[in-house]
Amino acid sequence: MDASAYEFRDTGRMPVLLRSLEMVTRKALWLLVLAVGLFPACAILAAQDEKVAELAKEVGGKGWIVYASRGENGTWDLFLMRPDGSGRRNITNTPDYEEGGPRFSPDGKKLLYRRFAKGTVIHHDLWGFQGCLVIAEPDGSKPVPIGGDREYPWASWSPDGRQIACLTQKEGIQVIDLETKKVIRQLPRKGIYQQLYWSPDGQWFCGVANARMMWTVVRMDARTGELNIVHEFQSCTPDWFPDSKHIIYPSRPSGQPGNNGQGFTQLWYSDGEGKDAKMIYGEDGYHIYGGTLAPDGQYVLFTRCPQDGGGSERSGAPICVMRMADAPALAGLSKDLRKVHPEAKEAPVLQLVEGWEPYWTYAEIGVQK
Amino acid sequence: MKVVSVVALSLTLLLGASCAKKTAKTDTGADTQVTTLGSIEITAQLEEIPGEVRNDPLYDYAHVMKYKVLQVQRGKVDKDTIYVGHYNPAKSRDAVADARVQQIGGNLKQFRVGDVHHMALEVPIDDYFMGGIINKYFGQVNDPIYWAVWTDKAAK
Repeated sequence: MDASAYEFRDTGRMPVLLRSLEMVTRKALWLLVLAVGLFPACAILAAQDEKVAELAKEVGGKGWIVYASRGENGTWDLFLMRPDGSGRRNITNTPDYEEGGPRFSPDGKKLLYRRFAKGTVIHHDLWGFQGCLVIAEPDGSKPVPIGGDREYPWASWSPDGRQIACLTQKEGIQVIDLETKKVIRQLPRKGIYQQLYWSPDGQWFCGVANARMMWTVVRMDARTGELNIVHEFQSCTPDWFPDSKHIIYPSRPSGQPGNNGQGFTQLWYSDGEGKDAKMIYGEDGYHIYGGTLAPDGQYVLFTRCPQDGGGSERSGAPICVMRMADAPALAGLSKDLRKVHPEAKEAPVLQLVEGWEPYWTYAEIGVQK
Repeated sequence: MKVVSVVALSLTLLLGASCAKKTAKTDTGADTQVTTLGSIEITAQLEEIPGEVRNDPLYDYAHVMKYKVLQVQRGKVDKDTIYVGHYNPAKSRDAVADARVQQIGGNLKQFRVGDVHHMALEVPIDDYFMGGIINKYFGQVNDPIYWAVWTDKAAK
């Protein structure tokens, strides 16, 4: 189109009928352009929605997810939901307490969590030292406080659910019999300072330590106390794969330009010896925490939070479910991450409600389906 | 007039002596906490702050610094050079205590290489602090890391 045509229109000398016709044509053209442009985007979104719906259908009947979230009373409560987000129910509903850090026992027959005084700000790094340990039925009924405030820090289930391992400052790692409350054995903590978890086969502990540097994910031999580095530099909140051979952890690699040069936290995994580190999921603009596997290792649970820390100080962050087979995956534009991970896929990610520290069991635990 | 002058002079001298006494107390960094807390009390010169002193409100950590020991007032320190972990060193010592570390403090406002500190210490750091530690001496020095309980500024 030449410039004179514009000039002719701008003079306003076009007959009214012609002008109306021209306006209609222009609108139609714009609509056509919009439709042509939007169609592929809509089609992609629809396809993605379809894939997410398929994922929801696939996981919907696979046990239950327990997580902490703000209840209607404003305090942190514990909730159960199906992995597709259905059947959600508050299982503590305690306006006089805050609750968090829930973990099913390996057989899914018990639930361990921490209960905090009302109004406690749950610190994303200190929560295992805060409050009181409680063990309840998996549906939250019959809660029994174990010890007092700040006792049994970072309690983690043994494979048979009869013992817990705790991480203490001066006594190191203590293995405690739940029935007698006696310390069965004790190991030096060797720099581990938070987030201790016992492997499903009972052979190992993982945690966050000061090794060559702080924020290092380590593995410890549960019999000898021998320690090896799994992943260094800004890595934390590790957890075990069901095979006890791999460890999942959030990590924030250096050199990311986003977030004022601080970068964002992605979800990673390595084998127990620290080899073969691979990214699972990342997204520029979001910190990925709360990584844990489904009991068969086929699916991964995590939270995506625009703020660092996972959201325990506020109201948590959306809980997400993804297939492990779809890893490595990136979401959104993620211009910076796509440069580093060109092999990453677009994975269907099922985004559920806001919560913190979700955990998954395949056990049927006697609540409504 | 002569009497008035003598009285004024005496008062000035007394005031001066009082001020001098106060200054001396600040200079040695001797307050109740530094002389009673921890199992070790020393005066030492800060020789090195390796790496950057980070100030991140979301994360707490201890930063290990190198000191030359000038005087041991309490407890036993075998070496002339020791390594001391300070909690969140970007913060003034009188504002550093928090939920993670409660019994900690002092009058030091800022860590500067060359300054002399009067400190109450514990050792090893792992028995008194459970959190991230920036230790740039890792692998180079096998000495125990001390934990600074109270840190006052002292005269050079």
